[in-house]
Amino acid sequence: MKILIIEDEIELLIAIGNYLTRENYICELAETFSKASEKTAVYEYDIILLDITLPDGNGLELLKTIKKYNSKAGIIILSAKNSLDDKITGLDQGADDYITKPFQLSELNSRIRALLRRRNYAGSNSVVFNEISIDTDSKSVTINDQQITLTKKEYDILLFLIINPNRVLTKEAIAEHLWEDNIDLADTYDFIYTHLNNIRKKIKAAGGAEYIKTLYGMGYKFTDQ
Amino acid sequence: MKFLTKINRNYLFLFSLVLVILSITGYFVLKSIILDSTKESLAARSVLIKKQIEETNVIPELKPLIEVVELKEPFREKKQFNQVSYFNPAEKENEIYLEYAENIQIKNKVYQIKIREASVESEDLELSIAIPIFTLLLAAFAISYFITKRLNKTTWNIFEHNLKQIENFDFRKNTEIQLRSSNIDEFDRLNTVVHNLTDKLKRDFLSLKEFTENASHEIQSPLAIASLNLEEILQLELKEEPFKKVVAAIHAIKRLSALNQNLLLLTKIENNQFAATGFIVLNELIQRKIDEFEPLFRERNSTVTFTSQSGFEVKMNPQLAEILLNNLLSNAVNHNFKNGYVNIKADQNELTFCNTGLASVLDNETIFNRFVKGDSKSHGLGLAIVKQICDTHQLKIHYAHNELHCFTINHVM
Repeated sequence: MKILIIEDEIELLIAIGNYLTRENYICELAETFSKASEKTAVYEYDIILLDITLPDGNGLELLKTIKKYNSKAGIIILSAKNSLDDKITGLDQGADDYITKPFQLSELNSRIRALLRRRNYAGSNSVVFNEISIDTDSKSVTINDQQITLTKKEYDILLFLIINPNRVLTKEAIAEHLWEDNIDLADTYDFIYTHLNNIRKKIKAAGGAEYIKTLYGMGYKFTDQ
Repeated sequence: MKFLTKINRNYLFLFSLVLVILSITGYFVLKSIILDSTKESLAARSVLIKKQIEETNVIPELKPLIEVVELKEPFREKKQFNQVSYFNPAEKENEIYLEYAENIQIKNKVYQIKIREASVESEDLELSIAIPIFTLLLAAFAISYFITKRLNKTTWNIFEHNLKQIENFDFRKNTEIQLRSSNIDEFDRLNTVVHNLTDKLKRDFLSLKEFTENASHEIQSPLAIASLNLEEILQLELKEEPFKKVVAAIHAIKRLSALNQNLLLLTKIENNQFAATGFIVLNELIQRKIDEFEPLFRERNSTVTFTSQSGFEVKMNPQLAEILLNNLLSNAVNHNFKNGYVNIKADQNELTFCNTGLASVLDNETIFNRFVKGDSKSHGLGLAIVKQICDTHQLKIHYAHNELHCFTINHVM
């Protein structure tokens, strides 16, 4: 899986690059408009992460070049602007998703996976973790071939956890994943807590192991270690 | 009142005044001219009569027009005009005559000549001259009135066109204002002023827009870096204390970022940067939002009821409508307690969000101010944003508390 990351903030570029490399993606980095347009014209990528504000050009312009030479690539816009205009223009011009800074890496990963699923990338419609497997087409979860019933939010949380295994996720990151930025909620922690408990119970009832680890009451980690 | 109507009205008023004054003075001038000429003609006739008596010695008599009497008294110079009333047996009524009486002396005899002319006749004459003059004046004024009106219309056409352009001008759109130039200095000056003003408005608007967006970018990027790095630290095997500190730091950065986004949002709404694309009926959106919030309500064992009699329609940017409802619903969730409820009502004129909550009454004046927080841990901008959206969309929001906390949105008439 080849990913091109276009981002002018070097620190951010490296952090994203390191993380995605650890997640077994092949990453290439570009910090300027010219470098990015060169790369997109020559190489093929599966996913392109595109920052709109670049020092030597507008990312939306780059979008056109990408669509021309790299039409198969899925594009996610990374933007500091929570600007609807940019979002609409970006999506209109062929971007697949739009994520506003600051974002969590786990959220970025989840968006990349969702995009791969939408693009029917081979094998991307099933997510497997030991005895748990999720079919993202039918949104069904089976444990040891036995199907369990989850509510929509429970399903969303479980998928988010499984896509980010062995990673510490704060309650906040999970809440943000569920509602994006749309909801100004002061306190959704109880909500996350209740839902995670429900998921735990349902997995246990179907004979699954205990994978959800609570960290000091503030975060969660999906792990078999 | 339209400028032209005003001008025309004044024109008509002044013209009628002038017409009346002119007609009255005209009438009297005419009358005195006629009187003078009658007097002259009477005096001339008197000379003729005197001459006739001298030559023929016949005393002419034509009552009541000419009357000559011999006076038995010494000659005394006398020339005078009188108004006399004379009975006309034919018409059996008194008629007013202008009488010229002159004493003359012919061959030692003294005569008094009285020549009369019916003044009724001259009055008839006056009228027959006055009426055409009045009519002519009236016609002249009427014609000039219509010509002026016509000319005004064509002259003001350009002005009307430009006015319409200015009315339709939207500085959010990147279109130049198209003003037609005329040969009239004042209009052209106005055009220049309008051009300068709109240019300045557009420049200011753009620079403010750029500033807010750049500020957003400049602030969000370092926040993103800090947040990503902290997230990576969190992945290390941390003990409880450092773990909690890192989580608290991430939380603080998130809050700062949300605060920044919301302040920028407020500025953008204030600047009218969200152009309304058309009318939207909020009812459908409310239902969708309720579905979205449903898990949160269920979690708190709260119930939501939505009753709608008819559609509440607003002209608003869809994104703003969503923000409006998000904030109102978030507010209803954040300030609610377990087993509480939320009632939402919508009809043509009114949208009401009522929720159970702590009994303390909030102040209608300050509740919508920025950074006024209730008991929640929110940033205190949610309702300020709601208020700002209402203010910029001809909506009025009102808070009231009687058992329930209610927010009511009305159309401003």
